[in-house]
Amino acid sequence: MPYWYYDKKDLQNTPSFRDGIPTETENRYRKEGARFIIDTGSKMDLGYNTVATGVVYFHRFYMFQSFRTFPRYITACCCLFLAGKVEETPKKCKDIIKVAKSLLTEEKFSSFGEDPKEEVMTLERILLQTIKFDLQVEHPYGYLLKYAKCLKGDKAKLPKMVQMAWTFVNDSLCTTLCLQWEPEVIAVALLFLAGKLSKFEVADWNGRSAKHTAWWDMFVEDITMELLEDICHQVLDLYSPQTQPSGSDSPPVASSTKLPKNDKSSVTPPTSASPVIVPAKPAVTPLKNGAELKPELAKMDMRFTYPGYPGLPPYPAVYTAPPPVLPAHPPPPLVYAEPPPAPPGARFPPVNVPPPNFFPPLGKRPPPPRAPLPPRPYYPPP
Amino acid sequence: MSTSSGSSSSQSPPTMASISDVSALFQTAKKYEELNVIGTGAYGTVYKARDLHNGGQIVAMKKVKVALTEDGIPLSTLREIALLRQLEAYRHPNIVRLLDVCHGGQSSERDHQLVLFLVFEHVEQDLDSFLKRAPGPLSENRIRSMSYDILSGVDFLHSHRIVHRDLKPHNLLVTSNGRVKLADFGLAKTYDTEMKLTSVVVTLWYRPPEVLLGLSYNTAVDVWSAGAVLAQLHTRTPLLPASCDSEQLHAIFRLIGRPPREEWPAGVCIMAESFPDYPPKDLASVLPRVHPHALDLIKGMLVFDPAKRLTALDCLEHPYFTEEPLN
Repeated sequence: MPYWYYDKKDLQNTPSFRDGIPTETENRYRKEGARFIIDTGSKMDLGYNTVATGVVYFHRFYMFQSFRTFPRYITACCCLFLAGKVEETPKKCKDIIKVAKSLLTEEKFSSFGEDPKEEVMTLERILLQTIKFDLQVEHPYGYLLKYAKCLKGDKAKLPKMVQMAWTFVNDSLCTTLCLQWEPEVIAVALLFLAGKLSKFEVADWNGRSAKHTAWWDMFVEDITMELLEDICHQVLDLYSPQTQPSGSDSPPVASSTKLPKNDKSSVTPPTSASPVIVPAKPAVTPLKNGAELKPELAKMDMRFTYPGYPGLPPYPAVYTAPPPVLPAHPPPPLVYAEPPPAPPGARFPPVNVPPPNFFPPLGKRPPPPRAPLPPRPYYPPP
Repeated sequence: MSTSSGSSSSQSPPTMASISDVSALFQTAKKYEELNVIGTGAYGTVYKARDLHNGGQIVAMKKVKVALTEDGIPLSTLREIALLRQLEAYRHPNIVRLLDVCHGGQSSERDHQLVLFLVFEHVEQDLDSFLKRAPGPLSENRIRSMSYDILSGVDFLHSHRIVHRDLKPHNLLVTSNGRVKLADFGLAKTYDTEMKLTSVVVTLWYRPPEVLLGLSYNTAVDVWSAGAVLAQLHTRTPLLPASCDSEQLHAIFRLIGRPPREEWPAGVCIMAESFPDYPPKDLASVLPRVHPHALDLIKGMLVFDPAKRLTALDCLEHPYFTEEPLN
């Protein structure tokens, strides 16, 4: 059976890396591909589960294949297409391609070839073989809710905290965390992060026993603080300016891309990875390239609507706090243009939520110890 | 870490014009060497093969042809494979291990078919040949442990909402240390689309009445089939051998009695009166020298009304397995 978790060394030595693609570039490709799956999926009203499954396929695929051989956007489409079928929310291949075309620049879409549908169909078989038909994927979302229900603390803050953690899970799809840790571990870490950032004190938890030093001991054994910090940092790094790309495009596509004019002056705010979904605000501003940000796009299906279990006040479906501090610049273009090179010394507009330097900067630390989940035996033999 | 075909590590490939150019590299996974045909069923052929990437380990490779739709591989097939893969995580002792899934590429652009290979652990013999080769009656303990194995496997499938649908000695595998493992399940929908194309005769001996009568069915079908298999463990001959649907129903009613008219299910085009009013037989006369607990269990599994039949879990909790003395 395939095993889909890698340590950091393996994550560096990928087929793309061996193919001459620097790690930072690969990480950018991964992030863009994941983002593109999220955007395409949301635009097609696919649920968070399907979208997340598609992203996991995408990350796994590139542990065996190179971005040089397989351009990221068509792979992304294929992953979403396959995830739709596996999660029983199928979308027609041609419809996915249509949406993809609307989100991509013409140049980027050219990687889909002459007959995009046929390409995706062919790629489907390669994808299946590459991910070894291991189609059922678990995500942190369910665990997140399960764990949150056990926590006791300021009831008014809990929904907000869960919402924030949910958004972190969405954004974590843009990292390679799903190739490093089981969903249970990611759920614990991001719930922990959201708890800290929203100042939710875990006073107690259901099912607490004497041997538990922290609430997560109840769910996953041997989680160290170092591991939690490492995971949180990987998500928080998404919001930091250094990770914003400035580099060439994917190898097969010629790289001197002309940027849309409005891009030159503005710095793309990290809306894509913001823990605060920025739906409503930019909805009206027409873009220079003629496209209009439609409200549908803003309506993120990835958003978690709080189910409202008994004892908690109903939670508004739209996440409002903390408010995003949006830049004065025009909103980011809808089309996937090449991100602009960061002007020297440019700072990204402060995003209110994450990194208030909550953690000390990561120094050189040994890799966190792997906390393997206990094997899951089924029935005891008779 | 092993790449599926070892072809991905080529140095600096030129710009790929199209995915199709690359796809040729992935079509034949030269991972398994076919040795000989083990069996041909309604659904495809099973080969004995050698896993070239794993020290030549012997595996059983099942070839299933999947009809491609306009949108590629059918959803039902993907769901079923996903489920099989997921089950594997439990490593249930009474379920045959699924080691790998791969495909042999599209056989031709025109016939829109994909050949799937499901690679299973290879188990030397199935229950059918095991019973045929047995020199004499099996010991009580052996029968009991095999019965328990079969029912554990069935209960496991049912708890994952899988109905086997075709439980029979041929797809119950017997390992070298006498444990039984279920095989050949979980691709019901995939098979359904392909089945119409094949004309291989499938055995009816383990079919429950609701299937023979064309009614809707559920997990209870497997309990019936398991009951027929359990009886066969005691006698080493099939309990209800018949050669066509109607004969099979006659054989069933001769054993358990024809249900009274008020119990005859609605919506069946065959009338109860089409069968003589067979009285139920005493199971002890059909299965002589069998412990009363075993008889009671089998009787509870061979009940006409699926709703009144024992569930697999009921069976596992039956006194036959829970009470000590057996002789």
